[in-house]
Amino acid sequence: MSDITDKEIKAACVFISPLIVLIFLFILVPVLGTLLNSMFQDVAFLDKQFVFLRNFRQLFADSGFRQALKFTLLFVLVSVPIEIVLGMAFAMLMNTHIPLRGLLRACVLIPWAIPAAVSGRIWELIYNYSYGLANFIFTELGITTEPVNWLGTSLGAFIAVVIADVWKTTPFAAIILLAGLQAIPVELLNQARVDRANFLQVFYKVVLPLMKPIIIVALLFRTIDGLRVFDLIYVLSGGGPGGATTSISHYAYKYFLGGDFGYGSAVSVILFMIAFLLSVFYVKAGRFMTGQV
Amino acid sequence: MSENTVRNWLVLAGIVFCLAFCLFPFIYMLVISLSTRADFLSQRASFKFTLDNFNAVLTDGSLHFPDYLRNSFLISLASAFFCVVIASLAAYAITRLQFPGRMSLLFFALAVSMFPQIGLVGYLFKFMTRLGWINTYQALVLPYTAWILPLSLWILVSYFSQIPRELDKAALVDGCTYRQILCKVILPVAAPGVLSVFLLSFIFAFNEFMFALMLTTDYRARTVPVGIALFQGLHGQTPWGNIMAASVVTTLPIVILTLVFQRHIMAGLTRGAVKG
Amino acid sequence: MKVELTDITKEFTSLRGRVVALDDISIKIDEGEFFVLLGPSGCGKSTLLNLIAGLEKPTAGRIQFDDKVVADTDRRIFLTPKERNVAFVFQSYALYPHLDVFENIAFPLRIARIEKAEIKKAVEQAAATLEITDLLAVRPAELSGGQRQRVAIARAIVRKPNVFLLDEPLSNLDARLRIAMRAEIKNLQDKLGITTVYVTHDQVEAMGLGDRIAVLNRGKIEQIGTPESLYEKPAGIFVAQFIGSPPMNIIDASIIKADGKLCVVLGNQKLVIPSEKIREIEGLKENHFILGLRPEHITINPPDNAQMLTATIHSVESLGRETAVYLDVDGLAITALCDREGMGKGRQVRVRIHLDKMHIFKGER
Repeated sequence: MSDITDKEIKAACVFISPLIVLIFLFILVPVLGTLLNSMFQDVAFLDKQFVFLRNFRQLFADSGFRQALKFTLLFVLVSVPIEIVLGMAFAMLMNTHIPLRGLLRACVLIPWAIPAAVSGRIWELIYNYSYGLANFIFTELGITTEPVNWLGTSLGAFIAVVIADVWKTTPFAAIILLAGLQAIPVELLNQARVDRANFLQVFYKVVLPLMKPIIIVALLFRTIDGLRVFDLIYVLSGGGPGGATTSISHYAYKYFLGGDFGYGSAVSVILFMIAFLLSVFYVKAGRFMTGQV
Repeated sequence: MSENTVRNWLVLAGIVFCLAFCLFPFIYMLVISLSTRADFLSQRASFKFTLDNFNAVLTDGSLHFPDYLRNSFLISLASAFFCVVIASLAAYAITRLQFPGRMSLLFFALAVSMFPQIGLVGYLFKFMTRLGWINTYQALVLPYTAWILPLSLWILVSYFSQIPRELDKAALVDGCTYRQILCKVILPVAAPGVLSVFLLSFIFAFNEFMFALMLTTDYRARTVPVGIALFQGLHGQTPWGNIMAASVVTTLPIVILTLVFQRHIMAGLTRGAVKG
Repeated sequence: MKVELTDITKEFTSLRGRVVALDDISIKIDEGEFFVLLGPSGCGKSTLLNLIAGLEKPTAGRIQFDDKVVADTDRRIFLTPKERNVAFVFQSYALYPHLDVFENIAFPLRIARIEKAEIKKAVEQAAATLEITDLLAVRPAELSGGQRQRVAIARAIVRKPNVFLLDEPLSNLDARLRIAMRAEIKNLQDKLGITTVYVTHDQVEAMGLGDRIAVLNRGKIEQIGTPESLYEKPAGIFVAQFIGSPPMNIIDASIIKADGKLCVVLGNQKLVIPSEKIREIEGLKENHFILGLRPEHITINPPDNAQMLTATIHSVESLGRETAVYLDVDGLAITALCDREGMGKGRQVRVRIHLDKMHIFKGER
């Protein structure tokens, strides 16, 4: 079996070729195409023209893009930590020995499993100014006297989007973190118990250090996913008001929709570069931290 | 109170919060979908039960919701099927056959899965336009399959590599070809993993939004998420009852899948993530 | 079916460079023979079995089944396991977990697309032979180790293989079951008369089962022979020590001439070499050799008054029927077997060494 034979290589080629062909045609070619396009003036009905970095120079002067960039980074910065902390709490709950634990896990899973577009619609109705659930609760409980204009103000829309995203993606973080929790050997926790550590001590001194690598993984996944957020916000707030909740993906999409492929590609390339740099940072951080544990 | 009692109360409170947090939007959705009017909360009107919303969504041809639903199911099933088949073949080759560049292929797939969708969609739009495939099933099935393949590959590699090599040897001695080993030994033994990959691929394809938004134009290929996002009332006002009914119908199969296959979905997600 | 291996070499390329797993091995296995490959882990015995099965490809050499060449590196011939029609029993049994016992046994026949009725008959016959008829509907996970073993053997014999290959099939069983299964495998092989190659690291198993045994060490054959010949006439120190339990004593000895007689010096004491061994001793070029002596050829406190050594009992270990006594002869450690009680630790004893039974090895240990 451990022989490299022509027959094996031939069989391997046959087995991997569908994967290679599909990924090549529908991912690699489009990505390279986008990279190339970002250096062209490529607007519908006009002749394609090589402009090298002009699109990028324009980007930095483009206040709409700067707003999208600022919103996206702020969105990730606020929502990802909340998701991780809440996800950790959910993971610990799902890890306790209670009856119907499977049902609890399934319920937590559901927000993640349904289409973001559907959850966007639900939350849009919840935030509805005149008859949404949020304002009903707020006014009934007397938290505010007037209904809050959730989707009509920049701050309101930002909070609305963050809450909806936390609701939608905390389950994912929780599942990843649960896997990490389950990987902690029970003997270790029992040992800590024998050593008369209380619940909080066990959490801070045993669980958290052991979970560091998996927390990094969850952070990495959520950050990359958060950076390219599109569907939830597109449906929930439409990027408004006045572009206040337009993400980078959304901004690029608008240009694609308008037929300006060069500029849209340039926006996508920037997004890709940010995601790439952050991944490198996380991988480095992960190594550094696990090296210390 | 002892530490244990405090802990039990905390756990209970946590579970109540957790369930409320996860489920209240669904309950709200269900209530609105069954209500005669979406604004009964603010109008102090009492809740009046009706099935009109469901009736409209499922039978009104002009809303095209059944079309979207059918498109979504067919496209997601096809994508999940192709994903399982193609990823199984590749995962078998990576875990069982010696060929140069096995590990690079695995990491190449991981790197590819990092590309943001927006970086693909512009070019795909032009590509599909040139092929004349805009608003067809294949315009979604092929990119979906390619887009979900890396995760499927990672999950299956993790399952396949846990199957003892002696089983392969036994099958070889028993006269199997590589293809027979895969079909008659590896796939049945890794059935839970294969099921996980199928479910996850289905869910990812079913939920996908951006490609569907860009590459379809009407009910002939448009999927449910886009259909619901673009749901317009006939009279200008947002038809919330209809939208919520459509959402309920869309969510239901996914909820059932999740309830039945919770274990498999979690296992698949975890393997995909922890390996990465 | 005769199996003939000629000049087989197998190299692996690893990160650290090339590793020679088998070095120029030639073996002829006769029709219907029970042939055992014996050696410590890592000696290449399993690799050799894989080469015979066609699971691995030799780097150089030729393998023949009767007159049919199944592998020849010069002529670039390499038949797959399927084309060789061999059966293999693995250490972990390698039962297909998703199939019940019937389907496990039937698997090779199904792959060969044999008729259903015929499959049923063959499986039932194999199951009857191994007395597992009542387990046919059970999944492997529910079977005990011994039952799995039987299923694995049934799967191997069901399609009448040319050669029957077993890779440490008993090492996952507990001691009692191992002895029972050993006898059963031997009987089965006698009955079926299929040429069998059996890999093990357990010399007791090898001695009990094999018509002939090849002892392998570091990819080379140390000796091929019947169990008796390996025991009586080990070709080298490795075989001498590997076969027999407790292992043979291996002692550095030198020869001197005292009072006109050739003597062996052990520690500070000397023993006259008996006449049977004089010629062999005189054939040595040096006055130094390695003396091999089985523990059973040492008697402690014998009734007679032949020449003796004095020794101290270092420790005693009961083996049940016999007792192993670890002796200290002027700093030399020597193991003796005796059947008597009363071997107190630290006692001084007289020891009779049966030099007429000693093995004389040249060179260094």
